[in-house]
Amino acid sequence: MLRYAASRLFRAILTIWIAVTVTFFLLRLLPADPTLLVVEGDMTPEMQDALRSQYGLDQPILQQYVLYLGQLVQGNLGVSFRQLVPVSELLLNRLPWTLLLAGSAFVLTLLIGIPLGVKAAVGRGGTVDRGVQFFGITSNALFIPSVAILLLVVFGSNLGWFPIGQAIDPDTRGLAAYASLLHHLALPLFSLVLVQLGPYALTLRTNMVEVLGEDYITSARSRGLTHRRVVWRHALRNAVLPALMLMGLQLGTLIGGAVLTETVFAYPGVGRLIFESVQQLDFPVLQGAFVILAVTVVLANLLTDLLSMVLNPRIRT
Amino acid sequence: MSTEPQSLKVDTPTAALTSTRRRRSGGFFSAPSGWLSVGTLGLFALVAIFGPLFVDSPSGLGTDILQSPSASHWFGTDDLGQDVFAQVVWGTRISLLVGAVASLIAICIGTLLGLAAAYVKRLDPVVTTATDVMLSLPMLPLMILVTALAGPSVVTLITVIGLLSWPEVTRMIRANGLVVAAMPYIDGARVLGAGASRIISREILPAVMPLVVVNVLLTAARAVIAEAGLSFLGMGDPSAWSWGRILLNAQRSGTIATAWWQTLFPSLAILLLVLAATIAGIRYNDSRDPRTRGV
Repeated sequence: MLRYAASRLFRAILTIWIAVTVTFFLLRLLPADPTLLVVEGDMTPEMQDALRSQYGLDQPILQQYVLYLGQLVQGNLGVSFRQLVPVSELLLNRLPWTLLLAGSAFVLTLLIGIPLGVKAAVGRGGTVDRGVQFFGITSNALFIPSVAILLLVVFGSNLGWFPIGQAIDPDTRGLAAYASLLHHLALPLFSLVLVQLGPYALTLRTNMVEVLGEDYITSARSRGLTHRRVVWRHALRNAVLPALMLMGLQLGTLIGGAVLTETVFAYPGVGRLIFESVQQLDFPVLQGAFVILAVTVVLANLLTDLLSMVLNPRIRT
Repeated sequence: MSTEPQSLKVDTPTAALTSTRRRRSGGFFSAPSGWLSVGTLGLFALVAIFGPLFVDSPSGLGTDILQSPSASHWFGTDDLGQDVFAQVVWGTRISLLVGAVASLIAICIGTLLGLAAAYVKRLDPVVTTATDVMLSLPMLPLMILVTALAGPSVVTLITVIGLLSWPEVTRMIRANGLVVAAMPYIDGARVLGAGASRIISREILPAVMPLVVVNVLLTAARAVIAEAGLSFLGMGDPSAWSWGRILLNAQRSGTIATAWWQTLFPSLAILLLVLAATIAGIRYNDSRDPRTRGV
């Protein structure tokens, strides 16, 4: 068990290191010269040199790399070109909202997806099963901004049931603040879940169908256990574990979806920040956003792996 | 880039392997989903190739601003008076181009790595780790960063999406390649003195070829969504129309709440194209699977 946990931890660190290294070399190899992007207009060569040494760009690349890693470990992601604020500060203000959105989408997808997948697998060929298969393929083809815009237009502007923009009404306090939070979260969350749920339920169904055909299920049935007990106790356990790990692998896609959803709803998370920074060509923010989202995804993935480990007797021993 | 078609995981060692030429002819078009999906794909291809010859490039500053769909403007006009139908037609060319070429790049890299990992034992851990690492990173933010640095253009989009979409392909091809590599006839080829590159290209590749075809379609579907996502975030080619850019324009001009035609039609185009590619992929796979053939 400890060995498994250690190997997962090693994989997580390796992934973060690769993400960070790739980012560094991308910034150095691609044509964009950071000094040309800081200020628009003419700069004398002396000014450029001064800027380069300020950013450490006049040193050998390996030294720059070590310097960069050192800064990262201290949480220094550079300074935003446009807003002249530390990138880490910008990102940390936005990250909680993205975590809230993506985290709730993750939990909700599991909560709806598992019963849906099980029902489909148990009643193979039935209405639920057909529905899940149809929904699985369709929702896999949905483009998140399209879904988000549709929901925003129908439930936000036309019916006026949900607010548009922002994540919370700043004037509310106490319980009303939580209500406002949920109210603002509803539409972005729903668009994200709608797109995630289909493929997830479909995968769970496939796993479950396989598990239901195994010998130990037949044996449990022949021992006279109730149908309900066999399905929800014996089969589900072995179908959910791969499904949970799969959901962990899906986290990267989930975060990508959150970026698009936040953009449509002007939800103040990291994704919306990315959209704003793209328009201003604010590279340090884009780089920092990728690094922080990568770290988030890898850590969340590690958590799901460790959770599956605790739940799975085969790995636990 | 919405969701990775994990669910469409083509579970096929047997399906792909037992296929024979004889089987190919019957299955695919025997179900309506077969010819419907291929027909839709064909239609999109025709629009992409010939559409811009018949429809003028959408140019700005007309007087018909924000018109709803009518006989003169089938899909209405945007806030600058540009015809949305023309935008969708011209966008089809870019979306299809990016989807097809990026998919081919990803397929070439993915198949090569997958087969190499399946046959050459020493390479396997490296390729598997690289694949897992890539799959666990948030791809969209990475694509945004790279595209922003390289400068947005159609070529950039194709390269970035193509170079970052191979891991899914590698994973699937490797899994199938491992099954093939363990078969007795591969040992036979080795005994007869065939080298690794010959065994991979002449013996294993033909066996996994059907799966490669499926992957071309699924990867192209993902690439179309990725392109739309990047364009929607403002990373598209500023001089070329694409479906994502039409949505971005609507978002920027604040007309999404009123001008439903500006977002509906490009959205439908994305949905139809991706759905058709996905269903064609699934159908192709099913039609070669003896268990589901003819269903």
